[in-house]
Amino acid sequence: MSNLLDLLVAGLATGAIYAIVAVGFTLLWQTSQTINFAQGEFVMLPAFLMLAAMQAGAPFWLAILIGILLSMLLLGLGFKMLLVDPMLRHGVLPLAIATMALAIGIKEAVKQFWSAEASPFPSIVPTGDISILGRPVALQSIGVLALAILAVLALTTLLNRTSIGHQMQAAAQNPTVAKIIGVPVERMILFTFLINAFLVALASVLITPIYLAKFSSGEVLGQAAFIAAIVGGFNQVRGAIAGGLLIGVVDNLAAAYVSTQYRAAVPLILLIAVILLRPQGMFGRPEERTV
Amino acid sequence: MTAVLEVTNIKKSFGGIHAVNGVSFDVQEGEILGLIGPNGCGKSTLFNCILGQLTPSDGEVKVDGKVVTGMRPSELNGLGVSRTFQLLQVFPKLSVRENLILAGQEHQGNMLSRLLGPSDAGLTAAADQMIGFFKLDHLAKEPAGGLSYGQQKLLDAAMAFMGGPRLVLLDEPAGGVNLTMLADLKDRLRAINQEKRATFVVIEHNMEFVMSLCTRVMVMAEGKVLAVGSPAEVRANPAVIEAYLGH
Repeated sequence: MSNLLDLLVAGLATGAIYAIVAVGFTLLWQTSQTINFAQGEFVMLPAFLMLAAMQAGAPFWLAILIGILLSMLLLGLGFKMLLVDPMLRHGVLPLAIATMALAIGIKEAVKQFWSAEASPFPSIVPTGDISILGRPVALQSIGVLALAILAVLALTTLLNRTSIGHQMQAAAQNPTVAKIIGVPVERMILFTFLINAFLVALASVLITPIYLAKFSSGEVLGQAAFIAAIVGGFNQVRGAIAGGLLIGVVDNLAAAYVSTQYRAAVPLILLIAVILLRPQGMFGRPEERTV
Repeated sequence: MTAVLEVTNIKKSFGGIHAVNGVSFDVQEGEILGLIGPNGCGKSTLFNCILGQLTPSDGEVKVDGKVVTGMRPSELNGLGVSRTFQLLQVFPKLSVRENLILAGQEHQGNMLSRLLGPSDAGLTAAADQMIGFFKLDHLAKEPAGGLSYGQQKLLDAAMAFMGGPRLVLLDEPAGGVNLTMLADLKDRLRAINQEKRATFVVIEHNMEFVMSLCTRVMVMAEGKVLAVGSPAEVRANPAVIEAYLGH
C-alpha cells in the first residue's frame, strides 16, 4: 500500500487540475449559459499545439506560450464567435449538443492529423521525490499543486478584487442592469471565454506530463471537471474548486484502497449521491447564477 | 425653470396593441412628477421608451433640450438619467457597497486601469455617503441578495442616485416596502430632491405616497394621458375616479 501522504498530495494535485478545468466550465455557464461538453478536449488540444510548436523548433517555454495564445484564440475567441454566439440564439440545449459535436470533432481531428498513440510531454515542474515527514513525496505533485493554487488565487483576486472582476460578476448576476449602468456586458462575456481558454491551456501543461498527450485523454478530464462542477455547485467558483479537489482525492484514494478497476466508478457514485441528496451541490444555490 | 425632460407624442405598439398611444408631457427642474394609472395603462412601457430600453414607434424624448430618442440606456446614464426598477434589480452576490460602486462607476475607457487600478475606482467614500444617507450602514458589507425586500428597494434607489443624476425615474419604489421604511424612503427622496435639485418621475400605486411626495401628478389610462395637475386637482377629477373605479 502506498503511503497516505503521497496519495493525498497526488490526489490534491490532480484535483487542483480538475478544479481549474471545472472553474472555467462554471464561468462559461454563469456568463453565457454554455454547458461546454468539449471542456475535456479543450484541455487535451493545447498540449498538441505545444508539441507541434516544439516539433517546429520552438523551445519548451516558447511552445507553452504559443500554446496558451493559440488556445485563447481558438478555444476562447473562436469558440465564442463561431459556435456559442450562433448556437445560443437557439437555446441552451442546442448549444450543449453542438459542444458535444465539437468534442468529437476535436478528438477525431487530433487522432487523424497527429497520432492515435500517446506522446510524452515534458514536465514544467521538477520531477523526482522529496522527503516529507520521512516519506517520499513526488516533487511533480507538489509543483502542480502549487501552480494550480496560484492560478486559482489569481483568478479569485481578479474576480473579487478588481474593478473588471466586479463588472464580470455584474454581467453574470444581472445582465440587464449591468448594461444600463454601462458595463460592457458582451466584452465581459468574451473575457470569461478567454479566461477559460487560458485555464484549460494551463491545465493541459500541468496534466499532460502525468497522463501523456493522447487524443482521447479529454474524455476522462471532461467528465471529472463536469462532476466536480456539479458536486461543488454548478453556479459557484469556490464550489468548482472544492469539487475538483474532492474528486481528485477521492479518485486517488479509491484507486489505492478500493480497487483500480472501480476507481472511475467512485466519482460517479459521488455524483449520483449529490444529485439525489443535494442537487444544488455543496456550495450552490438553486437556480442562481453568479461568478 | 427649465424642462429637464420633454416627451412629445410617444407611441409604442406591440402587435395590434397600442400600449402607449401618443403621450406628451414635460418635467421641470427640481420637480417630482407622479405617474399613476390602473395596471396595464402603459406606465412602465412609457418609462422603458423614455429610458431607451424600448424604441418608441413614434415620438420624441428630450433631456435638457437634447434629443435622446432611441439612445441606449447606458448612454442616457452618461447624461445623468438613471432609474429604479419595479422588480428588484441588484447584484445579489456583491456587497451593498460594491453594488453602489458599480452603479456609480464610469465603465467605458481603459481596460488596463480597471485591471490594475483600485477596485473601488475611488468611489468608496461616495458609496459610504449614500449608504449613510439611506441608513444602510450596518449592511454595507452584506451581500445584497441577503437583504430584506424593503432594504433592497432602498439599495436600488441608492444605486440610482450614485453619480448625482439630474433625472431619476422610479418605477414603484414603494411596492412591498413596509410602513416604517416607506416613511424613510419618502423622507430620503424629498431630501435628495431639495438638496441636490434632482428631478424625479415616480410610478406608484400607493396613492398616499404619491399624493404626499409629488408636486404634480399625471394620470394615464389605456395608453393615454387622462389628467395632469396638482395632487388635489387630480384627486378631485371625475375622469380619474371613473378610470380607477371601473367603466
